Amino acid sequence: MDPETFRRDLGAWLDDNANDLTPPYEGIGSMDAHMAHYSHVKRALFDSGFGRYGWPESVGGLGGSPLLRAIIGEEINFRDLADPNAWTMIEVLAPTVIDFAPPELSARLVPPFLRGDEMWCQGFSEPDAGSDLASLSCRAAETDGGWVVNGQKIWTSFIEYSQRCVLLVRTGQPESAHRGITALLVDIDSPGISYSPIETMHGRRDFAEVHFDDVFVPSDRLLGEVNGGWRVAMDILPYERSTTFWHRGALLHRRFSDLVAQVSAAGNRGDAAAKALGQAFQWIVAFRSRSRDTQHQLAAGEQLGVETSVDKILITSAEQQLFETARDLLPGVMEFDDDLAAALWRNDYLYSKAATIYGGTAEIQRNIVARRLLDLGPES
Amino acid sequence: MSQFIDADDLALLASSFEAAMADAPGPSEADQAMYDLGWAELLASAPGQGTATAFSALGATGSAASLLDDVVANALGAETALESCCVFPAPHKADAPGHLHGDTVIVDGMLSARAEAAVTAVLGVGTENGVGHFAVDAGLLYGPAVNGIDPGRAYRRVVVEIPAGALEPTASEGSWESAVAGARVALAHQLLGGARWMLGEARQHAIDRAQFGRPVASFQAIRHKLADSLVQIEGAASVAGACLHDSDPMLAALAKSLAGQAARTTATHAQQVLAGIGFTAEHRFHLWLKRMLVVDTLFGSASSIPVEIGQHLLSEGTAPRLIQL
Ligand SMILES: Cc1cc2nc3c(=O)[nH]c(=O)nc-3n(C[C@H](O)[C@H](O)[C@H](O)COP(=O)(O)OP(=O)(O)OC[C@H]3O[C@@H](n4cnc5c(N)ncnc54)[C@H](O)[C@@H]3O)c2cc1C
Repeated sequence: MDPETFRRDLGAWLDDNANDLTPPYEGIGSMDAHMAHYSHVKRALFDSGFGRYGWPESVGGLGGSPLLRAIIGEEINFRDLADPNAWTMIEVLAPTVIDFAPPELSARLVPPFLRGDEMWCQGFSEPDAGSDLASLSCRAAETDGGWVVNGQKIWTSFIEYSQRCVLLVRTGQPESAHRGITALLVDIDSPGISYSPIETMHGRRDFAEVHFDDVFVPSDRLLGEVNGGWRVAMDILPYERSTTFWHRGALLHRRFSDLVAQVSAAGNRGDAAAKALGQAFQWIVAFRSRSRDTQHQLAAGEQLGVETSVDKILITSAEQQLFETARDLLPGVMEFDDDLAAALWRNDYLYSKAATIYGGTAEIQRNIVARRLLDLGPES
Repeated sequence: MSQFIDADDLALLASSFEAAMADAPGPSEADQAMYDLGWAELLASAPGQGTATAFSALGATGSAASLLDDVVANALGAETALESCCVFPAPHKADAPGHLHGDTVIVDGMLSARAEAAVTAVLGVGTENGVGHFAVDAGLLYGPAVNGIDPGRAYRRVVVEIPAGALEPTASEGSWESAVAGARVALAHQLLGGARWMLGEARQHAIDRAQFGRPVASFQAIRHKLADSLVQIEGAASVAGACLHDSDPMLAALAKSLAGQAARTTATHAQQVLAGIGFTAEHRFHLWLKRMLVVDTLFGSASSIPVEIGQHLLSEGTAPRLIQL
């Protein structure tokens, strides 16, 4: 299906079903309400067929270009219909699981994920392994018919709502670094998994600390090869920085437009306000343009790699600049007001601070650009 | 009808443009060499790609060639010729440089090096019915030489009053708005060509220069400055590239502003990485820096364009969805 027809048909369908798809809560809503509505929207999209485009038939999709998935998220975010963060997990994890899981496994597990019946999470970071992910120590020991996992993960987003987790574990010697890591697809209801939610500074229970105590994982849950987990993790990165970024870029664009509307309605037409808005907008557009190029590379089947760090730096800078501008141009609103709009600005402002932390920090991205794109040789 | 040039031919074109401009001793020789290579015909047949290629080369070589006159003349539907120049808006501005006051035209704008020997100049004049384009005797505009910051003297200010009777109507069909958009995209490519050159110099210096027993490129403070420069350049370059298929004037404005910002950031970082040697007259860095400062002001700068865009957004009360998949 060609992207423009798809966008038109999808748009018409979203408009026709606007009542059903609009969140039942106003403003931010609770995490539970968000997740329930997210599942509802995903299911409606899947059942209408739109949500199956861009995914291979082997996992319940209808085929077609990944551009179609970019378009769905864009239209959903421009209309503010579903939580973009929860949606991220599909775009980040499903393509890699399809690439690395045994075909029967993905044929069975991926469809409910795409339909929003299930949520999955990403168990990479550990208390002692943040930026230095290759130093992770959560262990998996081989046993009859599978592995036994022991250790700890942290910052695992959405685990409370998840049925499964893409988990990185140490299978090699402790000092084997990236050569001794394996990726597993683990059921969250496996005996021995426990977690305690961590409240974020924007007042949500986005993520949790997770403990694995003699957790058995059957051998058919291996993603890729034993000690080949680093490849799986590296495969995820370009997905993390392509389709989902296009979706998030749409959200930023919408919030920017909200800001323009509010500042304009308040009658602030000074050149200082105009300049701040113009500067924020130009980086949103720069990101969007760069990301558009990336979407087309992905659609053309090109292997995305380290150059997506440029996209990442652009979107995080654009996001933080946008919400700093909102803070300046809506004076005192996010600091002191409690109405819905203010609560939303407050939420988004605070959450924007995480953008330079998750998915590889701002510093790590710059290290990658310096080493791999500028070829500056090793760091001292 | 605009034709499409494939990537191989474009690369060939780029290297011949670069060689021609790098070898030319001055702007008029560079203009002549570009005309000999078919620049004027290219502009007429493939304005988008032609302009992008020529102006990237202009930025990369640091040439003071006056190709902007051709871009603006072409967009206005006026004749492109070595004997003809254009009057550009005043620094940081994008409105027409001429203003009618009774029977006098107040000209407040800029001229390129081509104006020195040009016979006629194309002048945009703001009237109550919008901007009209006229031909004037270039001699009326060209006053005593001014040095300014750029040793290459690519552009100079012009502030004069001329009699309205000196304006000769032209049969041009292009709009001032499209000329502004075309010039902005061209200048964006020039700024980015220059920024890439500065980044290249700084990168090589960082690799070659050792302190504390290792290349300064190994220090993270240096690496992150250069990485930030590259990211801004790539972001701006993507928007400038998008203008090839999208003639939205706001996109052209954003391309120019982003390129100016990327060039400013890169110049600052490159200067710091080059350190002492980059502060000398001997190192060529200062030539690109100074040209960047001048080109940034043309047709609106990285400081003034955001104000223009922001004012437009505020009057609309919403932001348009630019860049389609
Ligand atoms: C909202 C949110 C959601 C998250 N969700 C998940 C999730 O679902 N799953 C998951 O696995 N993880 C998740 N994370 C974790 C995230 O990936 C880590 O926080 C991140 O990798 C950084 O690790 P750290 O917090 O331990 O910081 P550290 O790595 O300890 O870094 C501390 C500081 O040192 C800097 N630093 C570290 N190394 C270098 C270096 N080599 N050069 C220069 N500076 C350096 C960092 O940039 C940072 O500024 C999430 C984080 C957040 C904030």
